[in-house]
Amino acid sequence: MEDTEQLQAQVRELEARLAERVDADSFRRVVESAPYGMVVSDAAGHIVLVNPKAVEMFGHSAGEFLELRIEDLVPPRFRPGHDGLRRGFHGHPEPRSMGAGRDLFAYRRDGTEFPVEIALTPLNLSSGPLVLSSIIDITRRKRDEEELVRYARKLERSNAELESFASIASHDLQEPLRKIRMMGERLAALCEEELGEQGLDYLGRMIRASGNMHRLIRDLLAFSRVGMRPEGFQKLSLAGPVQDALSTLELLIEDNRAEIVLGDLPVAEVDESQMRQLFQNLIGNALKFRRESETPRVEIHGTIDEFEGIPIVRVEVRDNGIGFDEQYHDRIFQLFQRLHGKAEFGGTGIGLAICKKIIERHDGRIYARSRPGEGATFIVELPLHQKPSAEKTPREP
Amino acid sequence: MIRECILMMADDDADDREFVREAFDKSGFRGEFHYAEDGGALVDYLEKAKASPRDRDCPMPDLILLDLNMPRVDGHEALRRIKSDEGLRGIPIVVLTTSDSEADIQKTYDQGVNSFISKPVGFAELVEMAGSLKKYWLELVKLPNDTTIS
Repeated sequence: MEDTEQLQAQVRELEARLAERVDADSFRRVVESAPYGMVVSDAAGHIVLVNPKAVEMFGHSAGEFLELRIEDLVPPRFRPGHDGLRRGFHGHPEPRSMGAGRDLFAYRRDGTEFPVEIALTPLNLSSGPLVLSSIIDITRRKRDEEELVRYARKLERSNAELESFASIASHDLQEPLRKIRMMGERLAALCEEELGEQGLDYLGRMIRASGNMHRLIRDLLAFSRVGMRPEGFQKLSLAGPVQDALSTLELLIEDNRAEIVLGDLPVAEVDESQMRQLFQNLIGNALKFRRESETPRVEIHGTIDEFEGIPIVRVEVRDNGIGFDEQYHDRIFQLFQRLHGKAEFGGTGIGLAICKKIIERHDGRIYARSRPGEGATFIVELPLHQKPSAEKTPREP
Repeated sequence: MIRECILMMADDDADDREFVREAFDKSGFRGEFHYAEDGGALVDYLEKAKASPRDRDCPMPDLILLDLNMPRVDGHEALRRIKSDEGLRGIPIVVLTTSDSEADIQKTYDQGVNSFISKPVGFAELVEMAGSLKKYWLELVKLPNDTTIS
């Protein structure tokens, strides 16, 4: 009986040792091959084991490490108090990351510092409690983060500058233009006889040119203001802004004897005045690029759909006008890009660029389907709901 | 006492002052046309007019045309000073400016301006504007202590 018990005890011990050995081996392998620095230290802070990555990070040899305490890896300015923190950890040994919320730095053999992230894992060996510090050098990540923040700030600043520049420039450019036009008109009225037919013709062309430039600047100003004066997003039926746009275009619709077909228009979270401008530009374009031989017809309808898992509103503005070749698709949404001569179709080449800017502010997209001579369909897709963070643009002072 | 209509224009731009004056002439305005080159000069004029009501050179205006973008004392500041003066706040003020910014429109109405007009781009439009202003502010509207003829 006693023999049996003794034998069983021996077997248990052997099994335990074997298990310990296997564990210790696999533990060592993990430590050796880990992609981050690993330093094992005892309760007094003496380093008992390091991995090759730690050697590479800190510049101490494996042998030198065993002469060091964990405090030697901390920059001197953080050493006071580290003792207490270490004792605190051994009092409640639980795996955790170190220095929550604070920036941590490690100290190399050559006296330089580098930013790190450290996870602490308590190890309870029969020889006593140890702690495994897993260390990641985050120099690169930090640098990338800072770079990104700097870049974002720079971008924000230059965007704001650009917008206010465009706004101020447009405004101040209008001043002299208005005078050129006024003076021209006064001249034409007061000196009609002296100017003669040719003189009046030249003057007329000057006045028309300044009128064109006035429109150009006005549209450019509208474009620059899209990001500048957000009224904020609100849930509303798109039928409202479409109706408003139609009333603004009433004369044009009557003059062209155009047929307007309104379908369903869903509710979406939008900037109302910008939607008004969007539909005014799209419907205005549909009427402008009409075919002479045909009664212009504009259909506007919307549906609710999904895009990449997000509920969206899709509104189509379809016309039976001259259409365009889709190879120019991207160009028509760019500032000042036109597909036709100014004599054929007036305008400044800013309307669709404004539409695109408005839609981008709504986190949506705008595109068109068309073939020359077969009308065009402009498709606007907007998220049904705006992200709360979408409203970041500063208000105009 | 019955007297002529007095029009006061505060604008730092001499060309604009000339255009507006001509436009009012053309629209049939036969009153006096006074001007100030900035908001400070406007307020000085008005205070003087208030202090000496019998001064023939400095009559109280029946309508003020106010530019916003002026050096030294701008239109907003002039507006604030006029509207906070008991004796001056009754004079109708029409802002006539190149600005068409929502922020300016909102601010000036909050400050108690009577109308906000963006300067017309053509002379014909300017004459039309002058005609409308004359008809409305100097003929149609009844204001307290109105002793003018048009």
